[in-house]
Amino acid sequence: MDMNGFPAILAMDMRNLFRNPVLLGYNTVFPIAFILILGWLTGDAYAHVSDAYEYYAVTLLVYGMFSGAMTATNCFMERDIKKPNLRIIYSPSGASAIWASKLIASFLFDYVLHVALILVCVPLLGISIGVSPWVFIALMAPVELFGSALGIFGCCVLHSEEFASTVLSLVVSLLCVLGGTFFSPDALGGAIAAVSYLSPVRWVDDTFFAIACDNDLTLFWPVFAGAIVLSALLAIGCKKFFRTEDYL
Amino acid sequence: MKGMDTLLDVRGLTKEFKGRRVLEGVGFHVDRGEVLCILGPNGAGKSTTINILTGALDADGGQVLFRGEPIVDDPAAYKRHLGVVPQDIALYEELTAERNLRFFASLYGLRGKKLDEATEEALSFAGLADRRHDKVKTFSGGMKRRLNIACAIAHHPELVIMDEPTVGIDPQSRNHILESILRLRDSGMTVIYTTHYMEEVEEISSRILILDHGSIIAEGTKESLKESLAGQRHCLVEIDGQGETEGLAPLRSVCEALLLVEGVQSVDADDAVIDVTSQAGVENLDRIVASVVAQGFAIKNMTSVPVSLETVFLKLTGHDLRD
Repeated sequence: MDMNGFPAILAMDMRNLFRNPVLLGYNTVFPIAFILILGWLTGDAYAHVSDAYEYYAVTLLVYGMFSGAMTATNCFMERDIKKPNLRIIYSPSGASAIWASKLIASFLFDYVLHVALILVCVPLLGISIGVSPWVFIALMAPVELFGSALGIFGCCVLHSEEFASTVLSLVVSLLCVLGGTFFSPDALGGAIAAVSYLSPVRWVDDTFFAIACDNDLTLFWPVFAGAIVLSALLAIGCKKFFRTEDYL
Repeated sequence: MKGMDTLLDVRGLTKEFKGRRVLEGVGFHVDRGEVLCILGPNGAGKSTTINILTGALDADGGQVLFRGEPIVDDPAAYKRHLGVVPQDIALYEELTAERNLRFFASLYGLRGKKLDEATEEALSFAGLADRRHDKVKTFSGGMKRRLNIACAIAHHPELVIMDEPTVGIDPQSRNHILESILRLRDSGMTVIYTTHYMEEVEEISSRILILDHGSIIAEGTKESLKESLAGQRHCLVEIDGQGETEGLAPLRSVCEALLLVEGVQSVDADDAVIDVTSQAGVENLDRIVASVVAQGFAIKNMTSVPVSLETVFLKLTGHDLRD
């Protein structure tokens, strides 16, 4: 792969993402609105209303990070982007530049917006993300990367944005429900709580809550390294399954 | 025949899709500075061949040599010398013409002053210098097609592959594009061109390749194809149906008489016009005239019709090009 054109491709992908009002809204307005509404509605069930905001800020943030898969599918195979991307296949940059650039672009897009989101929520809603916010923010990076890699991998395997979006949306929702994004699985008994650990969302949720509430970093490195390894495996899968025919 | 000036040498390409063989030993060469037109009915294997030549698709067998080197050895090096005009408009609609050109040219390593110059030149080539700051989505179909070509040649490739670049545009834009292709050829670029419009082939081709069922069935200049493959000469004889003599011989008898003339291969009569197909090279016009007159008909008009590429194509493939 000739890397000469890669910065230009990446810049173009970033530009396309940041000019997409739907994706911008989905990653900023949508989670803030949900955190406010759900926190306000359930505030009475918590010792302080800020605890409710904190719970939903963290869970919806994790949901958003996994939903980065949908940003990636949109960035990768959306019709208006796919057609001009044909020229990248014909250029010295080659086919791998397409998926690699989309993966990095959607990761950066989601990461920047989600970091901004959490940095707004901390002072606005009085929530805590731990003694050192940078630990929390640092752990977000590999999880975001995993979400983006999952989306690109889905497109490479399923060969269509629509199909990949449908399947990934279902997969992410299942993982989040199982992992306790919308309700605590612990409240549903020991068996369900044990099953919830099959979902990576549960591990990620637990780690972020441990950092935010208890400054407990026990799971930081396992989750950090696990997300990086899984992302790398998905990237290898992208290289293996990406077919230029899907673009022709 | 291959010569010292061969830029691209295609040898025995084969390709299968889902167990169906779509290319069967396709081989040809492209010389520097020529415009090679590839023709074929739908499903003949044109697009597959083009996709292999652009490096977007791998062949199952055979190889493509650029300047004598297999393109698969160093695809990036090959692509630096290649410009591709895809059949679909491959542009960012939300960007301006200039921004599109700058982006696509930058993929070939152009920076700074070189990029500025290449962009200027390509805008002027496309006749869009005055619309450079307008978004592509505001352009007409013809303007988009012109920009689609400009984006492929901004980096001055040696070889340009164009896959039906004039689909669905007005005659004015088509003429602009065809003139542009001849300008590219004159500037030393080599062009491979596929189209469904025979008049375009007539206008721009240096050589023609006809593909059918995944194989090359004919190759040559338009003149040589007409000459060697058709081997026929058509003559239209318009007769006066109100002959002067009473007891006119029926038209059928004229046709029968014409079939006896030396060199005549077939005769079709349609009302007052008789289409006489003769073997090329046999001088028999005087005998055709005599034969018609002998049957009591007066000749109102007589035209010798040259064999067209359309006829050649139809004869070789059994299809009309736009079927």
